Amino acid sequence: MKKIIAIALGAALASGTGVAMAQATKQAKTLAQDVCSACHGPEGHSISPVFPRLSGQQPGYIIVQLDAFRNKTRGDPNAQAYMWGMASQLSDSTIKALADYYSKQKPVNGKPGDPALMAEGKKIYTEGIPSENVPACQTCHGPNAKGVGAFPRLAGQHVQYLIGQLQGFQTGTRSNAPIMQSVVGKMTSRQMEAAATYAASK
Amino acid sequence: MRQGKLKTFIAAIAMTGSGLLLAPGSAQAVPSFARQTGMACEACHTVFPELTPFGRRFKMNGYTIDNIPQVSGMTPSKEQTLSLNQLPPLSFMLQASYTSTKTALPDSAVGGALAKNGQVLLPQQASLFYAGKIAPNFGAFVQMTYDGVDDAFGWDNTDVRYAQNANDQTLWGISFNNNPTVQDPWNTTPAWQSPFDQKSSVAPAPGAATMLDGSLFDMSTAGLSVYAWINDSIYLELGGYHSAPHGLSQIDSTAGQATINGLAPYWRLAYERQWERNSWEVGAYGMVAKVYPGNGNALSGPTDQYSDWAIDSQYQYIGDRDLLTFTGTYIDEKQTLDASFANGDSANPSDDLKTLRLNVSYYYMRKYGAALGYFSTTGSADSGLYAPNPIDGYANDKPDSKGWTAELDWVPYENTKFALQYTMYNKFNGASDNYDGAGRNASDNNTLYLLSWINF
Repeated sequence: MKKIIAIALGAALASGTGVAMAQATKQAKTLAQDVCSACHGPEGHSISPVFPRLSGQQPGYIIVQLDAFRNKTRGDPNAQAYMWGMASQLSDSTIKALADYYSKQKPVNGKPGDPALMAEGKKIYTEGIPSENVPACQTCHGPNAKGVGAFPRLAGQHVQYLIGQLQGFQTGTRSNAPIMQSVVGKMTSRQMEAAATYAASK
Repeated sequence: MRQGKLKTFIAAIAMTGSGLLLAPGSAQAVPSFARQTGMACEACHTVFPELTPFGRRFKMNGYTIDNIPQVSGMTPSKEQTLSLNQLPPLSFMLQASYTSTKTALPDSAVGGALAKNGQVLLPQQASLFYAGKIAPNFGAFVQMTYDGVDDAFGWDNTDVRYAQNANDQTLWGISFNNNPTVQDPWNTTPAWQSPFDQKSSVAPAPGAATMLDGSLFDMSTAGLSVYAWINDSIYLELGGYHSAPHGLSQIDSTAGQATINGLAPYWRLAYERQWERNSWEVGAYGMVAKVYPGNGNALSGPTDQYSDWAIDSQYQYIGDRDLLTFTGTYIDEKQTLDASFANGDSANPSDDLKTLRLNVSYYYMRKYGAALGYFSTTGSADSGLYAPNPIDGYANDKPDSKGWTAELDWVPYENTKFALQYTMYNKFNGASDNYDGAGRNASDNNTLYLLSWINF
């Protein structure tokens, strides 16, 4: 009898959680459509390179970043100007639902850039720059730049956005990613442009 | 000598430092939006009051995007009945200015207002705004302004709107406003034209302006329009305006102001394309009004009909370092003056009036700016409408005014602007030399204008 009650209680709780989840999912879709899309575009397909494309982004990465905006631990200039306010009232469940929503949107296909940059970028992406202790990007971001967990998808992203982030890691304006801060240490502007062009094209 | 210069410098700093802002028309750019959204001014403005693509979207969205704690209410069926910002979205604006014309006006002119050349206005204007969300999907931009020249508080720009997303691609809304184009998202149209949204309110200004440029109604209208924003690129709007003069319980024939007969239709179409950090808009707008001329004439019988058709275009590049904007508009007005011609107020049964404005502005790091613009208003000669009079008259029956405006800006903070502006007239009220019949030349009205403008 106790077992039956426990099962019934468990089922009730589970369905309650399900309802809450469904609500959060619906709310996240409305938020994405009414608010986020103003900058990030419908389905996360933004036009301006100031705003990253979110379609197909790793949910784990979105969660970490939204949390960092909410806690004001990601402080690059655009994060402060736009996202500190935008994320300030988000609940954990909404953040999770937003991450879920955007990760399920169809990503934008990357386009190849200048051939010389692409060749240089491919080398950095796949082999790193051993002389400057820059590891291969694909070690974390994957051979197809789709990312995994808290490591973001780079494929299909705006090249200018990626370059901006690399610069932010280097100058310290974006300081919520210790791995990247150490990775970009001595990268030159040209190397950043090459790596970003190649990664975005995947 | 040296001490004199120092005194002038200190006076200028004191004046600008005590800053206020505003001018003919008024100003948007309100910190309450920043407080409500938690976003910096630069999200919505290149440099206030010019809007970015996101700023336009925020406006079309009904000023409702919010990120601050709400006071909420709901019914047992979970229908939301209240969602109110915990603090009211209030803002203040102050403009102080200094105006000097190339040649001082004679004491006899305009009540001697500029008899002493070099006019300081503190404030030029001071405004209180309610600007932000009222309820879900429902927001307002409401401005009350103290005008330092009129020494009076008055109702200023008002735009109350309801907006809703129909789906991923379509936003629609309703705007209730008091001035044609105050609801417009681009900075080409008369209410929020960029970059010369502020000009001296005391220097002589050209007399002739089209209806859409605000010559007839001066915000004494009430308008309702429905708009849609489709696929982040197409804007459609249709509405109508009715007379709503301030300070009158009933409109009567003694009202000095022109009065619209019935409803005046207003329309707007625009296409905007965004790519990378660029946006380009091309559009058209217009309004047709049948108007009783006022000034003691009966509010029945013949009317004057004003048909304004206009085109506009705006290009913006918004980079991290460089910001570049081109704006332009051309307004073509046909006047069928049945009432004024019958009363003998106009010499012709019909006239036309055309206005062209082309502007370019550049900002470096959103801090240091420069702008240049050409303006021209030309039209039919009409000895009834355009008669000689010292300073503000027309000696040769023509409304033509043309010239250039240049401006340097310093924006030390996103909510503070100092502007140094010079306006040069090649023609003023119909002529270059002796335009008023009293010996004043167009260039005598060339105006140096220093403005400090703060919002908080």
